[in-house]
Amino acid sequence: MEGSNMAQKASSKYDPTFAKEVFEKVDSGEEIKKCMQCGVCAASCPLADKMEFSPRRIFAMIRAGERDKVLASGDIMLCTSCYTCIVRCPRKVPVMEVMHGLAHYALRSGFVPRKESSKFGKAFWDCIYKTGRVDEGVAARTYYLADGLVAGAKRGLEMKDIALNMLKHKRMNIMSAIPGIQGKKIKNIASLQKMLDKAEAMGKGGSK
Amino acid sequence: MTKYFLYSGCSLESSASNYLISVESVFKALGVELREIEDWNCCGASIAYIAANQLSQIVLNARNLALAEAQGGYDIVAPCSSCYIVMNQVNRELEEDPALMKKVNSILAEGNLTYKGSVKVRHVLDVLYNDIGVEKIKGLAKKPLKGIKVGGYVGCQTVRPYGEYDSVERPVVMDRIIEAIGAEPVDFSHKIKCCGSGIFLTELDYGYQLVGDILDSATSKGAKVMTTACPLCQLNLEAYQERVNKALNKSYNIPVTFITQLMAVSFGLDPSKDACLDRNIIPVGKALKAAA
Repeated sequence: MEGSNMAQKASSKYDPTFAKEVFEKVDSGEEIKKCMQCGVCAASCPLADKMEFSPRRIFAMIRAGERDKVLASGDIMLCTSCYTCIVRCPRKVPVMEVMHGLAHYALRSGFVPRKESSKFGKAFWDCIYKTGRVDEGVAARTYYLADGLVAGAKRGLEMKDIALNMLKHKRMNIMSAIPGIQGKKIKNIASLQKMLDKAEAMGKGGSK
Repeated sequence: MTKYFLYSGCSLESSASNYLISVESVFKALGVELREIEDWNCCGASIAYIAANQLSQIVLNARNLALAEAQGGYDIVAPCSSCYIVMNQVNRELEEDPALMKKVNSILAEGNLTYKGSVKVRHVLDVLYNDIGVEKIKGLAKKPLKGIKVGGYVGCQTVRPYGEYDSVERPVVMDRIIEAIGAEPVDFSHKIKCCGSGIFLTELDYGYQLVGDILDSATSKGAKVMTTACPLCQLNLEAYQERVNKALNKSYNIPVTFITQLMAVSFGLDPSKDACLDRNIIPVGKALKAAA
């Protein structure tokens, strides 16, 4: 299948616009210039068999200009951040960082590669931005409630066994399950927020 | 007394409270002082990328490094592999890239902070093995865990990406510590395979498969108790074990400990107050009784 796709690709017009966009606007995007398409990343990834395209093919698709296909692909957001691709890449491409950069850029550009991971990522960052730390219970609650109270309660019930075990063994704070309750703020949260706002604006690709 | 900053991180404040308590007890017994970095913030883990850009995550970690530098500059010891890998990576990037350091300092200035780059970030295994050493650990292990087969599950981030204190592909440090407390490390193929990390929140089925493979690999080599040095590794292997059994039609029932919990037990410290074994979901006592 891969062979026939590649043959098709060869006959279609090569479009470097998207690759340029990735180099300039995606965090670590310029690193894919070093990729020699060996596929060690794909062979090393613990979730490669759950992907439609491997990291290697994503990189090839970027070079081929397949913007929508890449930015809408769930594969760019299935990373567990195990760093295996990074430690094994013979060309020292930080594959994981590129995938993270692509996922972030896709969300900024209006794509949703993975709905659940996007919701969880937003809930997690919300905790950091508001309090400086992550109260795990609050992050999980915010994530479950992202689709409203009814859907959130349903998700919470599905995970009841895990939550009850954690509560029972003093590894979760019951308060964090209550909507509206936030974790404790760090002392200098105001200056941390100023720093994060500035970093957001100064980062690659500019602010949202 | 040797001093370090303990960067406990968010997980140890909650889901891995048994890790935090056992780390503190073990270091106390070893005569090492741990201090908190005052007003530390979250490292962003490997999840911040979804909603925040790379520079934001660099700044999060640079702030902690700057605080540590201003508060005494001791080495930072991180028991959480995610805190360790993220903070260490940022520290190295700042050290190697003066332009990035300058940019980051212009941002830290918002909080009247500045970072020169003098702090070191270490994993708890690195400090235990290289600074304290197996001889000292052996000496304190008054109740060695003789005859207990331990699956030392290192996980993925614990030794990466630089391999500063152990091999990124064939790590040995955890097994040397298991030996030092008198137990028997088992060699198994999935020692550094990823547990799925945060995937358990969003793609449960994929997580079950990854954890199932790890448990299968370790138990087939005779492991009777698992040990880790990472909060998410521990959580995924333990809290989801029953669900893994249901999903994959298995019957694993293996305790999953933190390495410092086993150390505390071998040091003869209080199993509940110091080793914090009663906060483990799968009871540990029976597996360790074999040693007594």
